[in-house]
Amino acid sequence: MELRRASSRDERVDGGALVLAGGTELVPLLRSGLVHADELVDIRGVVPRGISDGAIGAAATLAELECDPQVPEALREACRLAASPQLRNAGTLGGNLLQATRCWYWRLGWACRLHGGAECFARDGEHREHAIFANGFCASAHPSDVAAALLALDATLLTNRRSLPVAELYRLPTEDDRRTTTLAPGELILEVRVPECDRSTYLKAMGRKRWAFPLVGVAGARVGGEVRVALAGVAPVPWLLEDGFESATPLPDNAYKLDVARALVARVRTALA
Amino acid sequence: MTTLTVNGHDYDVHGEVGTTLAEALRDELSLTGTKVACGEGHCGACTVLVDGAPMLACITLVHALDGARITTIEGLRDHPMVDAFVRADALQCGFCTPGQIVSAVALVDGTPEPTSEEIRHAMAGNLCRCGAYPKIEEAIRTWRG
Amino acid sequence: MARLIRTEKEVEGRYEEVWLVVEEDSLDQWPPGPREIVGRPAPRLDGHERARGEAVYTADLKLPGMLHAAMLRCPYAHARVARIDLAPALAQPGVHAAIGPGDIEQLAEECGFEGAPVAAVCADTFAQARAAVAAIDVEWEELEAVLDPHEAVARGLTIGEPRVKERGDYERGLAEADVVVEGEYRTQVVLHNPLETHQAVVRWLGDTLEVYISTQFIWGVRDEVAEKLGLPRDKVRVVCHYMGGGFGAKGGADDHTFVAAELARRTRRPVKCSLTRREENLVSGNRNATIQRLTIGARADGKLTALGGEYVNAVGWDGWSSPTEGPMNLLYACPNVRTTTVGARINQPPMKAFRAPGFVEGTFGLESLLDVLAAKLGIDPLELRRLNHADHDADQGREFSGKNLLECYRRAEPHWERRHEVRARSTAAVKRGVGMASQIWYGGGGPPSYAWVRIGSDGRATVVTAMQDIGTGTRTAMAMIAAEELGIPLEDVTVSLGDSARGPFASISAGSSTTPSMGPAVRAAAADARRQVDEIAEQLGKRGAPAREVVSVLEDAQILGKGARGPNPTGMQVLTFGVQVAEVAVDVETGEVWVERIAAVHDVGRVINPLGASSQIEGGIVQGLGHTLSEHRLHDPASGRILTQTLDTYKLPTIADVPEIVSELVDEPDSHLTNLGSKGLGEPPIVPVAAAIANAIRDATGAEVHSLPIDRAEMLRALREAEARERARETHGAAARV
Repeated sequence: MELRRASSRDERVDGGALVLAGGTELVPLLRSGLVHADELVDIRGVVPRGISDGAIGAAATLAELECDPQVPEALREACRLAASPQLRNAGTLGGNLLQATRCWYWRLGWACRLHGGAECFARDGEHREHAIFANGFCASAHPSDVAAALLALDATLLTNRRSLPVAELYRLPTEDDRRTTTLAPGELILEVRVPECDRSTYLKAMGRKRWAFPLVGVAGARVGGEVRVALAGVAPVPWLLEDGFESATPLPDNAYKLDVARALVARVRTALA
Repeated sequence: MTTLTVNGHDYDVHGEVGTTLAEALRDELSLTGTKVACGEGHCGACTVLVDGAPMLACITLVHALDGARITTIEGLRDHPMVDAFVRADALQCGFCTPGQIVSAVALVDGTPEPTSEEIRHAMAGNLCRCGAYPKIEEAIRTWRG
Repeated sequence: MARLIRTEKEVEGRYEEVWLVVEEDSLDQWPPGPREIVGRPAPRLDGHERARGEAVYTADLKLPGMLHAAMLRCPYAHARVARIDLAPALAQPGVHAAIGPGDIEQLAEECGFEGAPVAAVCADTFAQARAAVAAIDVEWEELEAVLDPHEAVARGLTIGEPRVKERGDYERGLAEADVVVEGEYRTQVVLHNPLETHQAVVRWLGDTLEVYISTQFIWGVRDEVAEKLGLPRDKVRVVCHYMGGGFGAKGGADDHTFVAAELARRTRRPVKCSLTRREENLVSGNRNATIQRLTIGARADGKLTALGGEYVNAVGWDGWSSPTEGPMNLLYACPNVRTTTVGARINQPPMKAFRAPGFVEGTFGLESLLDVLAAKLGIDPLELRRLNHADHDADQGREFSGKNLLECYRRAEPHWERRHEVRARSTAAVKRGVGMASQIWYGGGGPPSYAWVRIGSDGRATVVTAMQDIGTGTRTAMAMIAAEELGIPLEDVTVSLGDSARGPFASISAGSSTTPSMGPAVRAAAADARRQVDEIAEQLGKRGAPAREVVSVLEDAQILGKGARGPNPTGMQVLTFGVQVAEVAVDVETGEVWVERIAAVHDVGRVINPLGASSQIEGGIVQGLGHTLSEHRLHDPASGRILTQTLDTYKLPTIADVPEIVSELVDEPDSHLTNLGSKGLGEPPIVPVAAAIANAIRDATGAEVHSLPIDRAEMLRALREAEARERARETHGAAARV
């Protein structure tokens, strides 16, 4: 394996090459054999890091955003409650948006749908930490607190190819295409722009007080009289709560997530009122 | 080959790309104070400082370090935090302790008198199976002696 | 004069009779209370080397020429190796040797659980060994996996003999009861997960086998390895100076040691075989799941008339059936008790003793149901426990060697009294409550254990024994005992431990037995040395002079004292006792549970080092907290394969989860037990945690939790059930009024 430092934003990243930033997701996946790379392309020199002109560099670490008062509260809180201090020191905003599910079947390399296989083992198996929405094909849960916050904040991403609402970064896996993100090969997230909002917040339910992925994370942002609510940990992608819980399809052992989500959504709305 | 600056010294490291900082420290440089307990970034035992910030050596690639200054427990042996831990009995089997001390030193570098909240938040990434947590908190509160 | 006697030894609730050579132990116990050194807080003697990262654990050990081994393990819950070819592995770069099924007893074709070892390869680096294992050409035949404990029992798949314990007349006791309560309780599989995984480095030195191993029992490993390999015992040397936690999982040599030994034999190089964290989660042992069907009958005044329990231990493919029925049989005075315990053999990795095996699980069930009884009777839970206090052991028909449980209850009163104030701090969404639970467990230790004390002309003493300090601070405790007995400063004492080639037999560090087993031996050895110093002083005309002055004439000569652990008091039950009071908050909308405070009062005889003791209590409580709220080994229900193999999925408590812990020790020497009157403290603190928390939840919300861990799903289920009960009660009440 080789490691190359990118010299431009349009660096070629093809074939067996993978993009490396903080490495908190990629390095464990490489070492456990779940992912292979002939080459790693370190992009930290070409992706912006600080906050300027209302844009947050995608290479900003979660630790930096956690204590920056310029950062909207939902995003700050999502960073603060994410991962562990050491992981936050290395993990980047862009990387966090692109992290893979924590589904144990996927992480242990079972030949599930996300790995290109023919079934979702969680649906009839152990799914207590899995999705309660859009879980018909794949029941994995999206683990990013930050993505839920940005979704509620109606953030826009700027890549080296296009500008897109954060929601469009994600897609539900289908029979024909098992990917959960829409980034093209060589496409890099460069910046995140968060529009002004009146108030925002993030509440997170997890299995211990710190250092755990969201069982349910609820982000809310109010602009005028409108409140956008987005959830982490409840669907294969970050979930914008538009039709309430009508469309929820909980599995036998994760229905508790509905109760938790309802309670936290109510609290978020109260906090933003 | 790459160069690592560890505890103020420069070392040549010969591991191929993909070698982690933990492997380089322990296997090549024989600095075994940094422990590997999970190897996947989950437990914090391998915590070292990279330019003063606590990071996990087991998932940090040496070739991605690019001249950063590394501080390991060996570089902190005379820090008052060590005595504070021993005085408070903030260790039992001791396997997680180097990582705990590294994280604790970084905390008090930035916040010399952390509150209980701040301690719990900053130390949450260092697991201790023996459960020395109450005394770890006490050691950090009383680190100046 | 040496005597040979037969005496009883208990470890983790299992009794065996042992032959013992005893010197007469004529030492009187010290009077109660702190001494010059013993009974006063002392920091760990080896704290600095551990804290600085200077201590070399087996995981850090590098011997010249050392090779690294990796294992091929069965990926199925039940399978057979249909075909295996190691040749492709041998051809990989860096590989020196490979072994497979049948080469050693530990590698087999028949695999009864996921992770069962099948083959092993050693290479220059661990990465090379792993790559070579991946290259092994192997074909598996997957077999039916039995995963349900009840089904296993029904099919005769059991471990050990079913245990039936009966006293009095259970049916009559039930008939006599004014109130009978029943409940089914379940506990989950929990993993030890010491931070240092299982590690062994094995090297042949001439005809001696050196085993460097992270272990709780140096001598046990020595004898086990010698026996299995057909070697004279003194041709096996076992070394463990520092080890990174065991909690019961490291009591024996285990497969990885024999793998390393065989590969070392074939290659004539030292071989390290260590478990990755995933392997540690998978195969290094666990506290097995239990299913408990319990019944308690009592009179209206609160006196228990019947205790019944049907216990199923989901042991796994191997192991033993732990005494989950222990608390029910031992804790309270009840004339009529009947328990049955069966160990189910299921296709899951074998259990291993884990910090008070069986008693943690059994206390959760018993103490939870007891609070249900208290509520039904309208009797205060603390009062109910006091009312049923046992003043002798009805299970075995013995007296207790020492019991201060009533004193523990008394000291718990101020903490119990806080429940009014705690409940008052409840809000609409967050309910607060207080619960308590009694603790009973073993901890008397037993013979044999030996120590030597060596004093030189500089007046410094060295305690020599082949024991291990697994992080409990026993090294420091032994030094304190020796210093106290010798009348010299603690700084003048060192302890040489950790090597079977250097020092006499020392007991296992398990079952809370190190302090009560080794301590008296060290004291006896120090007393022997002290006697010799006194005799020399007499001859020098320096009676009463400090030891340092007396021995200054010795030059190269040394004083050598030896001591042995004497027998346990005959016909007495040696147990530890305690009580914990937990203050808990429950978010009734999200099901989140957090513990805000735990007060612990334990009776373990004389406390040697109060600082180390409080650490043991805090550590046990933190482990209990994880067991109660967040830890859970999960498996895929269809295949039985383990899903929580990493420390992000298997959730240990973090520092952020820790409540305020207030601890107290009764610290009254057990007057019948050895020259110290000390019992062990390693396990007692974990025993009542789950029950105290469950009872606090009940106090806060009325919800009865019946399974561990008390995660969101279980808490919300219990809350809903409590609501339904409340509505039913109101409906009946309304109907009655109509």
